[in-house]
Amino acid sequence: MGNNKVHADQKYIEALLKNDTLVLKEIYEKFAPKVVGYIKKNSGDESKARDIIQETLMTIYAQAKEKKLELACPFDAYFFLLCKRKWLNELKKNNKQKVTINEEIVSIGDESEQYANETMIFEARNELFSEIFEQLGKACKELLKATFTIKSMEDVASKLGKSYGYVRKKKSLCIGQLTKMVQSSPKYNQIKNLL
Amino acid sequence: MTPEEKYELFERKISNEISIEEDRLLSQIIEDDQTIAKEFKTYKEWNSYLSSNLGLDTEKAEVANNLKDISDSFFTKETQKTKSKVIKMPSWGYAVAASVLVLLGVYTFTKSTTPVYSDFVSIPELSISERADANEIGKKAEEAFNSNNYKEAEVFLNQLLEEDKSNSEYLFYYGISLVELDEFEKASEVFTTLQNGTSIYKYRAIWFEALNQLKQKNTDKCKVLLELIPKEAEDYQTAQELLEEL
Repeated sequence: MGNNKVHADQKYIEALLKNDTLVLKEIYEKFAPKVVGYIKKNSGDESKARDIIQETLMTIYAQAKEKKLELACPFDAYFFLLCKRKWLNELKKNNKQKVTINEEIVSIGDESEQYANETMIFEARNELFSEIFEQLGKACKELLKATFTIKSMEDVASKLGKSYGYVRKKKSLCIGQLTKMVQSSPKYNQIKNLL
Repeated sequence: MTPEEKYELFERKISNEISIEEDRLLSQIIEDDQTIAKEFKTYKEWNSYLSSNLGLDTEKAEVANNLKDISDSFFTKETQKTKSKVIKMPSWGYAVAASVLVLLGVYTFTKSTTPVYSDFVSIPELSISERADANEIGKKAEEAFNSNNYKEAEVFLNQLLEEDKSNSEYLFYYGISLVELDEFEKASEVFTTLQNGTSIYKYRAIWFEALNQLKQKNTDKCKVLLELIPKEAEDYQTAQELLEEL
């Protein structure tokens, strides 16, 4: 998707990256009412809508930060679709399938759908990775936390009183372990080809 | 090649510490062995995940906090809008309002022209208790603040801040309570902190600090602050009016 022309609404993605309060306020003013309306119509209330909006924006932020998200479609449709799906998942999780879904007729371009799908996959991957990271042994977890927060491996090595080569080797073994763990997860097999 | 050697090779490759020879070797095994190719892809994915999720915690928390502030203020405004729609003024209300306006006009006309704090201050409502995470102290703070009992509000907001030091909403309302209680210096400290931050209270804090200076009759300081309020801020219009009168 990188070849597509970047949409003017990319400014909302940039605002998340720069934590730009004024433009972020604009996101709420322009796009939140539609989401609130939808959630209220479908067994939710304003406070649920608040949570869904915040979570969705944080996912978009994470994706933009890690994967350099570049929108080639309007933010409106993309954002609404994401909030909507998140809400439907939430309803399913809580076993409230009996609710009637009052679908609104929204014309959503294929492109918005494609972007929303990518973000959903990104989110599913994050959830799975975080679950698996938690299962990792304490020593590995600590070493990885140190190497990824301190950035300079030399500093990590001197802090731990080990050699640079030792730390790099340990780090590669820990990530190797995570790699093995995630590869044996059935969930990963569903999403890996889409990454 | 042992798994240990393989992972170390992966690591050297992604951190650009690989020799030409090793690089050639890695390309070769990736080409020959689909399983290793997949494994390398997953390894890279983990590396990318870990660097964004372990290394950027503070940054992420800042964005999340800011969004929460914006969301709180947005939804409070929305609720107030819907509430105000319901209130209808009876027809005689207009007559009363008109007479009050006339009286106010006469009053303003006859009194001195130097603007004072009470002419310009408009204190927003504090709304914590509607939130899911609201606790007892939050409710007490809200009650006290909204009934103009700033002495109590100051105590409760202070308690809330002890648990959540960087909560810009608590800070902002704490600052207003301090101005109302004439604790000018403490109020200035609070507003300066907000002014230097990135929260939605950034510009509102400048406006209230200007009012804080006005209350102390520090006209020059007040003017400097008013000039700092940008056009897009919600207090811009009122700030301009005050600036003109000064």
